[in-house]
Amino acid sequence: MKALRTVFALGIDVLVGAYVTSACLFIIMPAMISDSISIPSPYGAISVSIGSILTLLLSVGSKVSLGRAVLYGQLPTGRARSIQRHLAWITFVVTVISGWIVTEISPIEFFSGQGLAGAGRIFGALFTPEFDIIGEALSAMMETVFTAFMATIIAVPVSFVLSFAAARNVMATDTTGRIVYVVLRALLNIMRSMEPIIWAIIFSVWVGIGPFAGMLALVVHTIASLTKQYSEQIEDVNDGPIEAISATGASRLQVLWFAIVPQCVIPFLSFTIYRWDINVRMATIIGFVGGGGIGYLLTQYQGLSRYHEVGMLVIIITAVVWILDVISARVRAALK
Amino acid sequence: MALLSVRDLRHTYPNGFSAIKGLSFDVTAGEFLVVIGLSGSGKSTLLRCINRLLEPTSGSITMNGTDVTHCVGEDLRRHRSSIGMIFQHFNLIGRHTVLDNVLYGTLGRTPAWASITRKFTKEQRDRALANLDIVGIADKAGVRADSLSGGQQQRVAIARALMQEPSILLADEPVASLDPATSHSVMKYLERINKEFGTTVICNLHFLSLVRQYASRVLALKSGEAVFEGSPLEITDEWFRTIYGDDAVEVEIR
Repeated sequence: MKALRTVFALGIDVLVGAYVTSACLFIIMPAMISDSISIPSPYGAISVSIGSILTLLLSVGSKVSLGRAVLYGQLPTGRARSIQRHLAWITFVVTVISGWIVTEISPIEFFSGQGLAGAGRIFGALFTPEFDIIGEALSAMMETVFTAFMATIIAVPVSFVLSFAAARNVMATDTTGRIVYVVLRALLNIMRSMEPIIWAIIFSVWVGIGPFAGMLALVVHTIASLTKQYSEQIEDVNDGPIEAISATGASRLQVLWFAIVPQCVIPFLSFTIYRWDINVRMATIIGFVGGGGIGYLLTQYQGLSRYHEVGMLVIIITAVVWILDVISARVRAALK
Repeated sequence: MALLSVRDLRHTYPNGFSAIKGLSFDVTAGEFLVVIGLSGSGKSTLLRCINRLLEPTSGSITMNGTDVTHCVGEDLRRHRSSIGMIFQHFNLIGRHTVLDNVLYGTLGRTPAWASITRKFTKEQRDRALANLDIVGIADKAGVRADSLSGGQQQRVAIARALMQEPSILLADEPVASLDPATSHSVMKYLERINKEFGTTVICNLHFLSLVRQYASRVLALKSGEAVFEGSPLEITDEWFRTIYGDDAVEVEIR
C-alpha cells in the first residue's frame, strides 16, 4: 500500500516536470520568439525527459514533492519547503502564461476600432429587436418549454424506480443487491458525464433534427441526474419508520412504500421542479445542434447574420428563463 | 409451557461489537417483564432479536414451540406480525394521518398490492378506530401524525401495535423521550393492555421507580449478560449498584 502511494506521488512529480518543460518549450517559446520556430523533435523529447528526471530526482533525493503535497497533504520543512513553494509558483505562472497564449487573449483586438464598431452594431441590433418574428419566436419557445417538460415527465417514473436500486441502504442487504447498486451507480455516472449536447447530436442522427431528438437527449440526462438525487435522498431517510414498518411483518415492497417514500416525496418534488427549470435552459442550448425549438431558430438567424431577429429571440429566452427561475424557486420554497 | 424461550442467545454486530453474550430466560404468557440496564447493555438488541429485526449470531429463540431463530420469508413476516413493537422515538409516518398509521399495523397480513392501493377493509378501519379509542385519541384519527405531542404519538404507536393483535408487545424505552406525567400515562396504557387483554409485555426501562410500579418480573443486563432476574421488590441497593455501577444514584420519577 505504502509503495503504491509513493508510486502515485512520483508519477505526479514526473508529470509536473514534463508538463512545465513542454509548456515552456512548445507553447511559450514559439509565442515569445516567433511563430515559425519549431524545436526539432529529438531535442524536444530530450528536454522534456530532462525536466521530468529533474523533478523525479528532487522528489527522491529531497523532500520536495508536489505529488505528496497534492495527494496526501504532506509538506516538507525548512529549505525543502521553500524550494517546493518556488516549484509550485513556477508551475502556476507557466500555466497562466500558456493559458493566455492558447486562448489567444488579445486586448488589441478587444479594443480595436473595427472590433468596437462591430460590437456597437450587434448590441444596437440586439436592443432594436425585430418584432415581426414574435409569433414565430414564441411558438419556438413554447416548443422548447414543452421539450423540457416532456423530458422531465418521462424521466421521473424511470428515475423513481431506479433510485431505489441505486440507494445503498435499500440494496446493501445482500450480495446481489450490492452488485446491482455498484453497476447501476457506475452506469449513471457515465450517463451523467456525457453532456446532453452529445446525446442531442446522437439522437438528431437517430430520429432526425427536431424537438423529439432534443427531448430524447434531455430524457437520458435527466434520468441520470434525477436518479442520483433521488437515491441520495433515500439514503438520507430516518431509519426509525423503516424499523417500525418492518416490525409489523411488512414485506420489502411495503417497507419501501410506507416507510421510505413518505419521507422522500417532498424533496423528490422539489428536485423534479428544479430539473424542469434546468431542462428549459438545456433545451435552448440543445436546439443549437439540432434539438429543435428556439435554439434551432437562433442558430438559423445567427447564420444569416440577422441580428435584429437574434435580438428578439434573446429577449424571449431571457424573459422565459427568468420567469421559470422565479416560479420554480417560489414553489420549492413553499414545499419546504 | 413458556410462551417465549430464549436459550444461550448471542448477537455480534458486523463491526465486531458483541451486544449479547449468552442470555437464557423464559417468558410466560401474561407477564409484564421489564428489562433494565445501562445504555449499551444489550436491551435494545435483545428486543430486536426477539421480533427478528436482527438475526441472532447463535443460540435459539422459540415462540409457542416454534423455533424462529433463523426463520426467513413468509415465516419471518408471520413471526414479526405476531409481535407488536413500540419505540423510544415513536417512529410514526409523520406526514400520514393517525388512522393511516394505525392501519399500517395490518401490513404484515395484507398483500402488498392491496395495501399500496389502500384497499383496507371496513373491518380493519373499524378495528383501527376501536384501538385508537382504547388509547383515548379516537378524535385525532384524521390529523397528521406529526402534529401530535410526544405522548399522543406514542399512544398512536401503541394502537398500531394493537392492530397486529400481538401475543407479545415489545416496548423499547417507550417513555425515555417523554416528561414524567406523560410517561405514567403511557405506562398505564401498557399496564391496561397487559391486564385486560392478557398481552405479554416485554419493556426496556431506565427508571427503577417505574420498574417497581409496573413490572411483574425484572431482568437486568450488564454488558450483554444477565446479572439479575426476579421480582422488582427484590432489587436492593446492593443489586442496584451491581447493575448500574458503584457511582450510580437512583433517580425517582413520580
